[in-house]
Amino acid sequence: MRGVRMSRSDVLSLYRRVLRIARSWTAQSALPHDTDTERKYIAQEARTLFRQNQQITDPESIKRCTEECEARIEIGLHYRNPYPRPTYLPPMGLATQKGRKLRAQQRLRKQAKPVYLHSHDET
Amino acid sequence: MASRALACCVRSVARAPARLNHGSVLSRSACAPLAPKQRPLSVLSCSQRPRWTQLVRISGPSVHQCRHYGDLPPLTLENIEERVMYVLKLYDKISPEKLQSSSHFMKDLGLDSLDQVEIIMAMEDEFGFEIPDAEAEKLMTPAEIVQFIADKKDVYE
Repeated sequence: MRGVRMSRSDVLSLYRRVLRIARSWTAQSALPHDTDTERKYIAQEARTLFRQNQQITDPESIKRCTEECEARIEIGLHYRNPYPRPTYLPPMGLATQKGRKLRAQQRLRKQAKPVYLHSHDET
Repeated sequence: MASRALACCVRSVARAPARLNHGSVLSRSACAPLAPKQRPLSVLSCSQRPRWTQLVRISGPSVHQCRHYGDLPPLTLENIEERVMYVLKLYDKISPEKLQSSSHFMKDLGLDSLDQVEIIMAMEDEFGFEIPDAEAEKLMTPAEIVQFIADKKDVYE
């Protein structure tokens, strides 16, 4: 299946789109303090994540990162909340007391992680 | 007859800067004292008006707006250049000593494309109008940015 390769200008347009959203953002609570904080958060988050992934050359990873960006944009605009949307752990996803099923559970958690939480560690 | 010619002269001179300038208040304030003179001669001047408006040409620099009424001061090339340099100096990744009008962002100042996007966004904020993506990618030196803004805003070249 032939996919469309992301070019440099597409990635830069995405970056520009996020910065433009940050410029005209209003918070759900409509408080000026919250609006200001969230605008700064959006710009800061975009800057750090784009810079952190700057050196990636593998087209699969680039595609995943752009999907993450677009998913976060859509979710943020829909729920009016720029912070990453947390998800539940998968069932039996956390290590048992004996610690034997650790690796399988790690794999399970990794597989269950949605695309828009990709750049964030499990905390 | 001499008074009629003089009245037409004064009226068209008052009307020409009113057309060239943005503010209509200027024209209203200029035409108000002439109103009593205009009325008795209005019928006679109708035929002459097209001729006078074609003859009278006032060049741009000599007509200065004295009142802005909440509008921004008019843009000049030096003004644009100053503001662009000011915004660039405020950007923390550029050292102000190395910055010149012709310094290339990527080759001379060592910035990358993400920084260039941020710089163009800062220019959009400063001048208050949006720069489309395709043209924003090509602006690589401060001189090019100044030229682009001058083209968009019709500042006399």
